[in-house]
Amino acid sequence: MGEPKLDIERHIKYWQRCLKTVLPTQYTSTDSSRMLLGFFILSALDLLGAGADTFPAKDRKNIRDWILKCQHPYGGFCGSPNHRYPDAYYVDVGHGRQQMDPANLPATFFAILSLSFVGSLEQVKRDECLKWLKTLQRGDGSFGELITQEGIIEGGRDMRPCYLAAAVRWMLRGDTPLSDKEKGDDIDVEKLVDHIRAGQTYDGGVSESFQHETHAGYTCCAISALSIIRRLPQSTSQTNSGAPGLTNIPETIRWLVSRQVGYKEEEEEEDETEAKASAPPLLQGVYENEPLVPGLSLGDVDFVGFNGRCNKKVDTCYAYWVTASLDMLGHDKTKLLNTNGSRRFLLEQTQHRIGGFGKAPGNLPDIYHSYLGLATLAIMKEPGIKPLDSALCVSAQQKDIIGQLRNAALSR
Amino acid sequence: MGRYEGDPEWDDVAPIPQDDGEGALAQIAYTDEYAEAMSYLRAMMAAKEHSQRVLDLSEHIISMNAAHYTVWLYRAATLFALNADIEQELNWVKDIALENQKNYQIWHHRQLLIDHLYPTISSEPRALQQLAESEISFMTEMFNEDSKNYHVWSYRQYLVRKLNLFNEAELKSIETLLRSDVRNNSAWSHRFYVVFSDPKNTTPGSRATEHDPKIPDEIIDREIEFSKAATFEAPQNQSPWNYLRGVLRKGGRKLSSQECFASEFVKIPEDGEECIRSSHALDFLADVWAEEGKIEKADEALLLLGDKYDRIRKNYWEWRRGMVKEEGVRKGLE
Repeated sequence: MGEPKLDIERHIKYWQRCLKTVLPTQYTSTDSSRMLLGFFILSALDLLGAGADTFPAKDRKNIRDWILKCQHPYGGFCGSPNHRYPDAYYVDVGHGRQQMDPANLPATFFAILSLSFVGSLEQVKRDECLKWLKTLQRGDGSFGELITQEGIIEGGRDMRPCYLAAAVRWMLRGDTPLSDKEKGDDIDVEKLVDHIRAGQTYDGGVSESFQHETHAGYTCCAISALSIIRRLPQSTSQTNSGAPGLTNIPETIRWLVSRQVGYKEEEEEEDETEAKASAPPLLQGVYENEPLVPGLSLGDVDFVGFNGRCNKKVDTCYAYWVTASLDMLGHDKTKLLNTNGSRRFLLEQTQHRIGGFGKAPGNLPDIYHSYLGLATLAIMKEPGIKPLDSALCVSAQQKDIIGQLRNAALSR
Repeated sequence: MGRYEGDPEWDDVAPIPQDDGEGALAQIAYTDEYAEAMSYLRAMMAAKEHSQRVLDLSEHIISMNAAHYTVWLYRAATLFALNADIEQELNWVKDIALENQKNYQIWHHRQLLIDHLYPTISSEPRALQQLAESEISFMTEMFNEDSKNYHVWSYRQYLVRKLNLFNEAELKSIETLLRSDVRNNSAWSHRFYVVFSDPKNTTPGSRATEHDPKIPDEIIDREIEFSKAATFEAPQNQSPWNYLRGVLRKGGRKLSSQECFASEFVKIPEDGEECIRSSHALDFLADVWAEEGKIEKADEALLLLGDKYDRIRKNYWEWRRGMVKEEGVRKGLE
């Protein structure tokens, strides 16, 4: 095998297939997250230089219309048209405004990002959306995913909605200081920071909450949220007020780099399986890529995968959650990783020959892992992919475009 | 003809079909069965109908799309409106959970059910005990499939809080899981929670990364011993090493209080070859020595890690060397 490389053409073909053909029936279980799938498709094509700006104008318009069709009349977006009723159902006929199937925070985040690829943000109901966003915040600073007609905030208290709320706020408000009136309509940023701080746990990573196990996905969402609201150390020059978002960054870094797992190719694995079968019971649960007794690997490995939690299996998506987290803690921090091994793992082990990436070596590609595999390589500055903004998880160029579209919408 | 269209029981309902329009994003090849069921669900939700047929319909939709975030909420509202049998629902959810290991909504639904049930039995210790036992036995079943299922562990923590299970039995059940897999980091985390959030011995609201002066010394000692025993069993398992650091911080003790223990796994003679049984021990000692101002020793440990015992993290260990030296210079200047 020659020098491993990203097969750009095949990846573009993979994503164009996702865009143009109907996804198979197995995707029905993701029907409520179609906005997320749509975003991955548009953003992947953008990263590969074949984005919506190269589509025929009619296709762009259709996509824009579809996204806007999912906008909730009272602000925010719904996950798919299956969650959005015909307009007449929302009207107040004496029982208050009807929420029907309420707007959803993840859908709103992905809808606004997606709209930025196909035109403008002018038709986003900005003020309604920001007011709705504020109603999703709980007293402890956390955010839910939706609020019911009865005013109950539903959804977990974990780091994902914290991140999504911070990002939606940034996309609609930007970085300019708020007027007193705007502040009154704004979310409580201090409480949000406090909630995120509380999610850091004993091993340095961030968990769903301090009670639970540290997880790379939650850690990345927490750091992304802090990055967007400028509460990470390198952004203190911009805002000096308030407590820093993470309590102990060196511990967080230790936890992040510990997610790297040396990965051996399959033929070597067979030997290991045999050895494992005869290993004493105290080593039960050792992952096959875990070095053998006495537990130390002294040799070099060619491939470095990432797990999301201590002693778990490697998975393409964790390459992203970990690499992006370090990138936000300082651009030079990604150099603390074994980028060569990690790049080779993605390109030679989970990249699929039809394009896209699978979850683990040998797996078929899917939209989620394909996007995060590509985004990881973008952070690592792989030639042929646009550089990534890790906090928004889009190209840095697209982040600028969102800023321009916001300003254009505001000055309308 | 569809299942609902042809059913006289649904004659009175005008379904609300989905309108995807032209050139939609991420179109899915919905089956006719799914599209029809969804159009009837929308009609039910619009009419705010809560009835047995809504329960049947939501069950049907969940079987095709268990991640539908509002169908679960609507099902719960319907159950409560009908005063339905919660225990029967808990049993039904159990089967769905076993079939959908990765689903989040199921566990949220289960919490809603328990929240609803709890006030009706909160004054009967036996009923509470029974509930705790049946929930724990269900989780054991889930853990037999995947002992690190994140949603199940979230639910476990919820249940510990709700039913006040900060007790010996809970610690024992964690030990059982760790006996079959000492690397089960979810179980380690849960132990940390049960020990250091127990209202009897801890300061309310004390965070996982903070010293809590209210914790009795015996508990800190007990937890240190627990992590040590597990480390002797598998020295290269990072879970108990992380746990030990966490316990020391909770107890306000220095890392150097465990220098002797970590040295069990690290022998670096003045001359001759070193004997290292755990890279985590070496990492721990590097921190101990840096804490004590023994910069050269710390540097040597970090160098060994990067060059020999943990080469895949070479860049990280080099960075740590730089940090330790900087710290040394800073201290030297003071």
